[in-house]
Amino acid sequence: MAYTWDVFLLAAFFGFAYGFLLQKADFCFVASIRDWISVRDTRILNGVLVLIAVALIGWAVVLATGARTVADVWTVPLGGANLLGGILFGIGMTIAGGCGSGTLYRCGMGYVQFWIVLACSIAGNLLFALLYDPWGRDALEPLTVVESGYTLYSLPVPVYAIPVAIVLMMAAIAIWRFGFRGFAAGFRSALTDWEGNPFKQSHWDIRLVAALIGIVATVQFALMSNVSITGPETRIGAVAVSLFAGDDFVFNNTYLNALFADFPKIGLGPEETLVFFLIIGSLAAALLSGSFKLRWPKKSRLPYAIIGGLLMGVSSRIAPGCNIANVITGIGGLSISSVIVLVGMIIGIFIVVAFVFKMPLLLFRRDDSFGA
Amino acid sequence: MSLTERELLELKPDHVVDAIGEVCPHTLNLALDKLKKAKPGEIVVEVTDHSIATKTIPAAVKMNKIGEFLGVAKKGGEYHIFVKKL
Repeated sequence: MAYTWDVFLLAAFFGFAYGFLLQKADFCFVASIRDWISVRDTRILNGVLVLIAVALIGWAVVLATGARTVADVWTVPLGGANLLGGILFGIGMTIAGGCGSGTLYRCGMGYVQFWIVLACSIAGNLLFALLYDPWGRDALEPLTVVESGYTLYSLPVPVYAIPVAIVLMMAAIAIWRFGFRGFAAGFRSALTDWEGNPFKQSHWDIRLVAALIGIVATVQFALMSNVSITGPETRIGAVAVSLFAGDDFVFNNTYLNALFADFPKIGLGPEETLVFFLIIGSLAAALLSGSFKLRWPKKSRLPYAIIGGLLMGVSSRIAPGCNIANVITGIGGLSISSVIVLVGMIIGIFIVVAFVFKMPLLLFRRDDSFGA
Repeated sequence: MSLTERELLELKPDHVVDAIGEVCPHTLNLALDKLKKAKPGEIVVEVTDHSIATKTIPAAVKMNKIGEFLGVAKKGGEYHIFVKKL
């Protein structure tokens, strides 16, 4: 399939929008879970839940209007690899300090640490591809339960039934927790959190940003593709290596070859363009608000960046997919494997918070004491 | 309690945490470590260029009741986050 320039333009627009929005809210998927279990701060988790709710409704609308069909929904083989990949990705992103999307937008903000994480993550992608051919495939094969994956949209109920039911349930829980007034006040404060020029403001309300990201992802699903990050990153890595090693590097590897199956040649496509423009969008947002700064990490943190990045790279191929693909397109598409990946990620985050960083675990503590 | 940026910068902190170049969760962990060592009433300030720390540290000290968040002062692209140990 040959791509035309308008698809690249569209991809650049979507990437720019994601990067801009993610930076504006410091949208961090690691923090959404980490801060909740560690210090019971649910500010970012609420943002992720809003994103999930908007994606669910968005996908339902796209499918109900017939702009896309259930066959276009992103599904991957269902099985143990989802859980294994999810756990390893959760460990990797918490050690590295940023998830698939967090790493990219922080690259745009000038964090040198995340440039290293990104490079190591892409190296991890390629490492997986090199291991896949001789024995990785055989090792992961027995874990597969359903080869074709499964989305709840395949059930014989109206397409809007399940997503609407889930979102109503989420709204009911929110109202039960905050009360009707609190729920309404949340909407109001999300929409009115402005101090002068929004573009110069360094922080936008995370719930508003989450809703906007969900809408952008929905439009992307309707017009172009399912948003993903780590698949395109693997291709970027493969293209980079093929510049030195020749295209045979890709053709001789089963895994990479399959990744480029739809491509006219070994090169960068629209989704890779999206990833580059995500970084540019974040850079633009950071420059506007004065948040851009070249930030050099302490030497002692480099092992975290390298190990975390490599782990994310390998595990995002096992799962497959990173937080963005699984939270937005996976949950939005009601894909069962994504639910398993996310459970794995939460387990992974918990393992690192509790045993590597040894942070407080207030979520599990009933008394007010603080120590140890 | 919220002080103006100027009032904050005039405070004499008892402990200064250098978290320049650090990212989550280290920005939070360094602050919590120092707060644990501080005596009640002492002021701990963390200096960081990681903007998200200005949200996580206030939320964390409020939740685990280890300190009172006094405010954030922005100075030349760096955030000075002030917390008083309770």
